[in-house]
Amino acid sequence: MKGRALRWAGLAVVAATVVLAVVLASRFGSDPSLVDSPLLGMPAPDFDLPGLDGSEGTELSSLRGEIVVLNFFASWCLECREEHDDLVAASDSFAGQDVQFVQIAYQEQATETLSYLDQAGSSATTHYLADPGSRTAIAYGVFGIPETFFIDAEGIVVGKIIGESDALVLGATIDSIMSGEQPGQQITGDTQQRPDG
Amino acid sequence: MSDRARNIVSITVIVVMAVVLFFLVSTRPATVDRVAEIGSRIKCPVCQGESIANSPSQMAEDMMDLVAERVSSGTSDEVIVDELLGSYSGAVLLDPPASGNTLALWIAPVAALVLGVIVILWWRRHPGQDVEEPPPPGRSRARLIIGGAVLVLVFAGIVVFAANSLQDRPAVAAGAADLGEEDLSDVSNETMEAVIAANEDDPQIVGMRLALAERYFEAGDYRSAFPHYLEVAEHPSATDPEAITALVRLGWMAFDGNGEVETAVRLIDQALAIDPGSQLALYVRARVLWCGSAETEQAIDAFEGLLAQPDLAPETRSQIESDLDAARAGESCP
Repeated sequence: MKGRALRWAGLAVVAATVVLAVVLASRFGSDPSLVDSPLLGMPAPDFDLPGLDGSEGTELSSLRGEIVVLNFFASWCLECREEHDDLVAASDSFAGQDVQFVQIAYQEQATETLSYLDQAGSSATTHYLADPGSRTAIAYGVFGIPETFFIDAEGIVVGKIIGESDALVLGATIDSIMSGEQPGQQITGDTQQRPDG
Repeated sequence: MSDRARNIVSITVIVVMAVVLFFLVSTRPATVDRVAEIGSRIKCPVCQGESIANSPSQMAEDMMDLVAERVSSGTSDEVIVDELLGSYSGAVLLDPPASGNTLALWIAPVAALVLGVIVILWWRRHPGQDVEEPPPPGRSRARLIIGGAVLVLVFAGIVVFAANSLQDRPAVAAGAADLGEEDLSDVSNETMEAVIAANEDDPQIVGMRLALAERYFEAGDYRSAFPHYLEVAEHPSATDPEAITALVRLGWMAFDGNGEVETAVRLIDQALAIDPGSQLALYVRARVLWCGSAETEQAIDAFEGLLAQPDLAPETRSQIESDLDAARAGESCP
């Protein structure tokens, strides 16, 4: 009788192990960088960053009252190059409509980013900023780029795009914020880390 | 099992447990430096399973600088970690928190260890208790086969489940090149109008413009649909099917909205110049002729020509046959 109890105990251990293995296996496919940003619905972390060319920078709080599209990018990021023209066009299109575009260079020397912008083109209405020590990227929890945050007129983070954005996504997201909605997080593609770490 | 064998098994299991415990304990950070200790708890966001204290990446270095700055300013460990959690969520912690969904990860190994020790102790104190009357040989073999099959099935199930999980990574949505192919079902007409207005010069907006025009057309709002169809019809980036659809719709609206049969036929003929076999253009042209003019014979010829096409969808063929019968009978179009 005791032998049978021992056998049942053994079976219970095996069953528990199987359940645990299944639970752990179920998490194999999840990418931790794709979790919902804890910043959504929260006040956007403030920053006061210098311009890429050393010019007077931009303080986020000075843009209060306008929608801010905050994009982290770099010249080494292929997805950023893909979305670049759409970001420039969107910035030009929404000029004068209480929408500000801010692009922050991520993990790159300002001279390299400026050289890239000279070649790829830029918008006269976009704030191109440097991020010394990656403090702003850390404050916004950037895992890879491109990542684009949307901040409403009250200074609340209401949207985030992980991956490459385009004219449709940018326009629709801004439009929904203008309508008082909170678009939340969208995953549109892959992000990239600096090739040399 | 003999006592000697029982002892060997017990000692082996205990040694294995001790080794596992030793490695678990030895891999814990044994540093007294606060910056390094905090850094060893934070996962480098751009690395694979490395802490920011161990990673050589620039991002990890920047995060360590931030931690050092906070430590030197007198900020407590928990506040520093909370600051990073507020930006990155729990995904930035190397060790999952011992709460919520991840509590089982902490409890399970300890529970398994305790249970294993209890079983071994019980086994050693009750030698011979597990020996029962031997079952009949046939039954024993059957049990062995069934048990083995169950184990194999469970293992195979786990492997399949894990493999599927690995493939179930979040789908990558369409990029800029698919502007006209996005799922627009949840986008309002107003939003689409705003996006189109903001991207008028973008050649990729044609698909969205046509989708919006189709919405207006199906709702009978010809006034709103007209300018969008016109833009698509004249846009150099429009594909042939897009241009044909726009021209045919414009033709039908010219007839249905204003009774302009000649204009309608001319527009639809432009579509047929792009693709003479376009079923949509041929059918709408036949209906315009039937409904808008006394040229019933031409309409009947057009319907018959369409029916001669072998690749008509069954419901389209049925509709054309119905129209043809009505036209032959001299009925007016519905």
